[in-house]
Amino acid sequence: MEDIKAYIESGILELYVLGDVTQEEKNQVEAMISEYPAVKAELDEIERSMEAYALENAIEPSEELRGKILNSLLTNFGDDDTFPTKKEPVKKDNLIAFTASKPNSFYKYAFAACLALLILSVAALVDMYDQLKEANTQLVALSSSNQHFTNTVKFMDHQLNIYRDPTFKVIKLQGTAKHTSASMLVAFSPIKKQVMIDMADLQLPQNDSAHQYQLWALVGGKPVSLGVFDKTSDSVDMKQMQSIAVAQAFAVTLEPKGGSVNPTMDQMMVMGAVL
Amino acid sequence: MTKKGKISLTEEELVFSLRNREKIAIEALYDMYSSSLYGVISRIIIDTAAAEDVLQETFVKIWHSFSSYSTEKGRLFTWMVNIARNLAIDKLRSKDFKNQNKNQELENNVTFIDEQRNTVYNPELLGVKDLVQTLKPEQKSILELVYFKGYTHVEAADELGIPLGTIKTRLRMAILELRKHFN
Repeated sequence: MEDIKAYIESGILELYVLGDVTQEEKNQVEAMISEYPAVKAELDEIERSMEAYALENAIEPSEELRGKILNSLLTNFGDDDTFPTKKEPVKKDNLIAFTASKPNSFYKYAFAACLALLILSVAALVDMYDQLKEANTQLVALSSSNQHFTNTVKFMDHQLNIYRDPTFKVIKLQGTAKHTSASMLVAFSPIKKQVMIDMADLQLPQNDSAHQYQLWALVGGKPVSLGVFDKTSDSVDMKQMQSIAVAQAFAVTLEPKGGSVNPTMDQMMVMGAVL
Repeated sequence: MTKKGKISLTEEELVFSLRNREKIAIEALYDMYSSSLYGVISRIIIDTAAAEDVLQETFVKIWHSFSSYSTEKGRLFTWMVNIARNLAIDKLRSKDFKNQNKNQELENNVTFIDEQRNTVYNPELLGVKDLVQTLKPEQKSILELVYFKGYTHVEAADELGIPLGTIKTRLRMAILELRKHFN
């Protein structure tokens, strides 16, 4: 007990209350007060007297300061993790439900409209493609018929030129006694040494596959072969034969396919003299 | 000291509700201790605005570090007043505060120094002066320095030019006088 009394009288407890002790002294005092109730009682006495002394010396801070400090503490209070009300769940009635999801329906309709537009576009595209294909076919047909027409015009032109050409003589070959209905036209230009036969005006029976017609020129009483030709239903052009400069007459005989060296006289179809 | 409308709890109730972080504890704490704490702070820091700042800082610190307070180690007020005194001394020694004081007008310096040295009578302290009359002058000066000026007993020994042991004894005697007075 003497030690405790000396400890109390050392004044360390007063310094402890005034916060004027080192950490080591502080630990020592705290050990003493937890061990000795008498020391604790003495400390309590000192504390109470100092508290009363402070209360005697109290100065009331301004009224405004109360609100300011309490507000700053309550602001901190809200931030404090240990603040129990912080853990309260959010009240359900604070939540406002989105009504009828208005913004969503706009996108739904917009999407539907886009889809409809897409389908229409695809349908229109398919239709356009079909039309384009048809137009292309028509264009090909037209261009081919145009080509044909051009060819025909060119051919007619050519034909017409022959008839217009003053150097050409048009010789009508008349049917022989056996073939009175037969006839044909031969155009002959001695200057150009050209011989043409008008296939369109060919009045001859159709030859079979084993035979061909052969055109002959009579030069000085001798027959000269000018080539073979066929009578077909669709031959319309002017066929150019082998060239010759001089001829007194032209004749056509039916010969075996490929022609003969000398004309078969009893197979003569038509004949005409150059005037 | 309880005025009408102020909240007052027993120390046990207050400690309990502070531990539970109850909102009412903050108001009770302020109502019960703000004037006592401000009394100490405003004797260390004369400037009212600065003293009020320190009072606010004190309450913020009490609230945030309350978990470090233990009833085993002493009374709540002892713990709080030490926080207040330390914050006030820190403020007094802070660079900003020193610079602010350097800007004091020359003619104001006389009253400022008088205030700092406590040679003027603060009307609010009249009752205290009566009380301190019951103390012997040497007890009074040591209590003034350590309790109101924030001196350590070592600094007080230097200031008063007396040995440390004597300082401690005088401090104890002064507090014993106070105990007699209050009991």
